[in-house]
Amino acid sequence: MSDGPILLVEDNPDDVLLTVRAFTKNHIKNALVVATDGEQALRLLHGDEPLRPALVLLDIKLPKIDGLEVLRRIRDDDRTRSLPVVVLTTSNEERDIVDSYRLGANSFVRKPVVFEEFVKAVNVLGVYWLLVNEPAPTGPGT
Amino acid sequence: MSTGTMDETGGRLPVQVGQEQLMALLDHTSAVIYMRDADGRYLLVNQEYERLFRLRREDIVGLTDHDLFPAAIADEFRANDRQALAGGVPVQVEEQAPGEDGLRTYVTVKFPLVDAAGKAYAVCGISTDITGRKQAEEQVRRLNDELELRVRQRTAELEASTQELDAFAYSVSHDLRAPLRSLEGFSQVLLEDYADALDEQAQGYLGRIQANVNRMAQMIDDLLHLSRATRTQLQRERTDVTALAREVTAELVAGEPDRAVAVEIDDGLVAHGDPHLIRLVLQNLLGNAVKFTAHTDDPVIRMSAQPQQGIDVFTVRDNGAGFDMRYAPKMFDPFQRLHSTAEFEGTGIGLAIVHRVVTRHGGQIRAEGEPGRGATFRFSLTPAPDDWVLR
Repeated sequence: MSDGPILLVEDNPDDVLLTVRAFTKNHIKNALVVATDGEQALRLLHGDEPLRPALVLLDIKLPKIDGLEVLRRIRDDDRTRSLPVVVLTTSNEERDIVDSYRLGANSFVRKPVVFEEFVKAVNVLGVYWLLVNEPAPTGPGT
Repeated sequence: MSTGTMDETGGRLPVQVGQEQLMALLDHTSAVIYMRDADGRYLLVNQEYERLFRLRREDIVGLTDHDLFPAAIADEFRANDRQALAGGVPVQVEEQAPGEDGLRTYVTVKFPLVDAAGKAYAVCGISTDITGRKQAEEQVRRLNDELELRVRQRTAELEASTQELDAFAYSVSHDLRAPLRSLEGFSQVLLEDYADALDEQAQGYLGRIQANVNRMAQMIDDLLHLSRATRTQLQRERTDVTALAREVTAELVAGEPDRAVAVEIDDGLVAHGDPHLIRLVLQNLLGNAVKFTAHTDDPVIRMSAQPQQGIDVFTVRDNGAGFDMRYAPKMFDPFQRLHSTAEFEGTGIGLAIVHRVVTRHGGQIRAEGEPGRGATFRFSLTPAPDDWVLR
């Protein structure tokens, strides 16, 4: 059971609101931390007193540093190499899917337009990544 | 010198072939003929030589090419002469000589005359003007180069416009769907959090908003599919259409577990086309057939092929709802529908995709239908001569 915070990297304030709502409706207790651009996300993950999230939800179209670059830097850094990263985005263009997996995403989810469907998707994601999945150990000596 | 004249008794004397006769032959050919000794001095030229270089044979005999032509040309002639004299066998070369309107090109055969001791004492030359032929060759080469350049330009243009389409489709993929998500999501929030404040009618209106948002999202996806059918590179290979059609059918049937539809795909259907794009065509045509037989007892769908003047024509036929032929001309336009959404769902993009793929393959497509009695779609996937029309 992973009870660390969930890092949501999303620049669209409407999407943030709806995603927070979806997590609340699913009674997911983990704290939801929001970064509204790539720079902020990397500062949170690689700065002083880095955030150690149980899960990262990453949109790929972001201002300043774009989502795929954030993913690359997450995987490049030893501290965050094994973080579960789910690309959560609007597009399902093949190019984006291929690039995401190539750069080390654990999963690719296209955000549905219908909110009720999105709530169901968040439920499935939450159950899997926070309950079923075993994250990489982060204790000393690893 | 004897000629064919009469003797004293009135009988004909036999013709003897001597210099007079031979010179007559030489003087009436269009080839340029000449003879020079081992030192390059002219011994003989024919009439065509005289005409071409505006010289008289009496004036030339004893002179060399260096007396008559510019040094460069004379050097070339002399070199070729030497080659023939030394080699002892005929040589064929291309030479250039001045003509009325500039340099002309000749193909020349030079061969030595050899004495009893085997020594070459003279060289003979026979030259034919090939200037016209060379010009034609040059023209062809130039046209080919121009053509290649144009092909390269067109390919570059095509790649550029494909990239633009790509960028456009990509931006649509992201940018248009995000606001739709917000519209749908916040309508849902209102329905959930303000249910008490919203009467049935208000909730109904929100429902309509959501339905339209859904429809728009679907249309965007359909446009993306249509643009993919245009964008993706067409790569032809031998495609087992029977196997592909049976795969697609299995998927369609699995998606409709409550229905029993008889789908017959003939054996041995083959096409030389792009299998991914052909799959799109089959998904849409067979999918339509399954969809429009939803209200038919004993639905039957069949796919077959027949050659028409050597070109394979594929047929997909069903006995479902059919359509009114009066509206047929528009049926391949994007988002054009011949039935209401209440009767059958769909946005009307399927046939536009089919039409796009068939056209990209160089083929044609035709539809026939009768309300209540079914529809038949016939299409080809091979470019045909201009006068071939799919029946």
